[in-house]
Amino acid sequence: MRVNPNYTPDILNDLFQQQAQEQTYTTELATGLRVNEPSDDPSAAAADVENQALQSQTDQYLQNTSNLEGSLQTADSTLSSVVSALNQAISLGTQGANGDLSAADQQTIAQQVQSIQSQIVQLANTSYEGSYIFGGTATQTVPFTLDSTQPSGVLYNGNAGVNTVEIAQGNSMQVNLPGNQLFQGAGGSVMGSLQQLVTALQSGNSASIGTATTQVGSALSYLSQQRVFYGSAVSQLNANQSYLQQEQVNLQSEQNTLVGANMATAATDLSQAQTAQNATLAALAQIIPQSLLNYLK
Amino acid sequence: MGSLSSSMWIASEALGADQGALDATSNNIANQNTPGYTREIPILTEAAPTEEGNVTYGNGVVLQQIQSVRDQVLEIQIADQNQQQSSAQTQYNALQQVQSLFSDPTQGIGADFTNFFNSISQLSTDPASMPDRQAVLTAAQTLAGDFNSTESNLDSIQSGLNQSVTSTVSQINTLTQQIAQINLQVGQMQKLGEDPGSLGDQETELIQQLSQLTNVNQIQTENGLTLTTGNGTPLVVGGQSFALQTTNGPNGMTDISFQGQDITSSLQGGQLGGTLQVRDTVIPGLLSQIDNLASQFATSINAAQASGYDLNGNAGQPMFSDTTGAGAASNLTVAITNPSLIAASSDGTQGSNGNVANLLAVQTQTLPAGENPIDTYANLVSQTGNLTAQAQAEVTASTASLNQLNDQLGSISGVNVDEETTNLMNYQRAYEAAARVITTVDELTQSVLDMGSGVTAAP
Repeated sequence: MRVNPNYTPDILNDLFQQQAQEQTYTTELATGLRVNEPSDDPSAAAADVENQALQSQTDQYLQNTSNLEGSLQTADSTLSSVVSALNQAISLGTQGANGDLSAADQQTIAQQVQSIQSQIVQLANTSYEGSYIFGGTATQTVPFTLDSTQPSGVLYNGNAGVNTVEIAQGNSMQVNLPGNQLFQGAGGSVMGSLQQLVTALQSGNSASIGTATTQVGSALSYLSQQRVFYGSAVSQLNANQSYLQQEQVNLQSEQNTLVGANMATAATDLSQAQTAQNATLAALAQIIPQSLLNYLK
Repeated sequence: MGSLSSSMWIASEALGADQGALDATSNNIANQNTPGYTREIPILTEAAPTEEGNVTYGNGVVLQQIQSVRDQVLEIQIADQNQQQSSAQTQYNALQQVQSLFSDPTQGIGADFTNFFNSISQLSTDPASMPDRQAVLTAAQTLAGDFNSTESNLDSIQSGLNQSVTSTVSQINTLTQQIAQINLQVGQMQKLGEDPGSLGDQETELIQQLSQLTNVNQIQTENGLTLTTGNGTPLVVGGQSFALQTTNGPNGMTDISFQGQDITSSLQGGQLGGTLQVRDTVIPGLLSQIDNLASQFATSINAAQASGYDLNGNAGQPMFSDTTGAGAASNLTVAITNPSLIAASSDGTQGSNGNVANLLAVQTQTLPAGENPIDTYANLVSQTGNLTAQAQAEVTASTASLNQLNDQLGSISGVNVDEETTNLMNYQRAYEAAARVITTVDELTQSVLDMGSGVTAAP
């Protein structure tokens, strides 16, 4: 039977294919990726786009989480200072309600409570990175200003707005409490009760000093209840952080399954392709010089 | 009755026939590596015998013709496989360029989308922050820029393909002219029962080259071959060739016409068909999807902007230029330059981030195109990947099939040096033997002549 005497195109084609395979495996080993071009595995390449988007989004949620932690912790520790200031005011009030005190002493105490009042106003005007944290969403305006015409002695310039921030996919959390809710709430007004205490101390009426002190007490307990919001927000952020970190690990391992190369297989495949190429070259070297002419004298 | 002169004549005819056979062998050996060469074999037949009484004398050998050993069916199959292979290869080359625009998941439109939404998410933690607002604008500009450059890169791949159309068509016209010149002659030789030999080889080789450029139908007629394109537009009829023309189409692309009629969309196969497929179908398809994505995304973000307030308490202005239709992605620009114009607020206060949720919602919102922005983009990635992988598979399959056909043809028409060497020795021996016959007959003739002059005196 006659066969194609010109076998070089076939062998060359084999060599090209072996070289292409070697290139593929070398690229896999070099990049650590099985999918280097969309055509290597179109659906994995598309899934990789979504995976990378999720990873980058998760990074951003982590960033959001740590950004929020700062302002929430500032708010929490500010409120803790307010609580101790209020405790101080309560003990001053209890002291002032004592009928044995002279009018002058009561005035002194009234002044001390007034200074606590302005200290609390200052605390309520705390800002974090240029934004007031107790002004609702009016973060660029000083939330509280002392104003004796107001029944509570202060004017609230903020609003009742709250912000929510997405901290994980489909998971948003409220990140602030407006100042009027914290300091002028219906359940116990910090500002109002302090102003009442000052007025009572200035008037020297023991009974109304006592009533005002009790009201400062209930404002304190109301504030403490509100403060729980910040405490639990901080712990929610911490929990969220570990969730997001786990999510990152999951996404990375998913990505590795999608487009990562199996290094052991790639290395084995490469050496197989090299062996095949060597065999082809050896065969070629043997066959080409073969001719009848070699045997003719 | 046999005679010395007839023996002489037979031997001298044999010398001629053997020389012819040696010529054929020599020609085969000379052309063993010539592309398109078909091996030739000498057809030796017995000469008509002479009858005398009841004795029949053979009259030696006749070299009837030198015949090319070809298989036309295989040649047509190879031409067909050639056009498939070359179409797939052309598409694969172009698609590799196309998919490289979508191959890095950490860059390009997909990553830009995520970065843009991340910057907005970042802004939600501090809505009044100017650096965060600036970051949103920068991300929006990068996104718009990548929309522009992706589209302009696709445009330039398309116009590169377009330029090759003109040169391919002129190659086709040159080839059909060359084929027409040979075709008539080959047809006439075939009609007379002659072997077209090397002319036939040339024509077949030119047709193979033509098949690499476009799909060609071959019809055997009395006046040689008739070649047409796949849809029947004549290219070569007998000794006449018909040129294809190129004209500038309305969309800036080169159209191909035949006698004034636009036949661009009917051309398939070969380099030209592959080029047209990518230029007229694949790239326009991708461009229109990218345009839709750009315009629908911009519209959604602008609507979200309008539902909120900027840092100055004014209603949100469009963030992206309003862009629709063809070229929407090329024309996409960021319409605002002042970071304070980003509408993060839902109530007009500077610290509100209430509208960020609306802006962020675009990330997961289904666009009119059917998916959310990043999924739409991922879909483009998988489309280009699939198209490229398909073309690649087709190249591999058609190359394998072409190699196999070429092997088959080679086994029929290829020159085997061992075979030719063997033949060479055979014809050499035959020639030597015939020459010996002549010498012998010559000696015999001499003897006959000597018979007359042999009366010598006895000593």
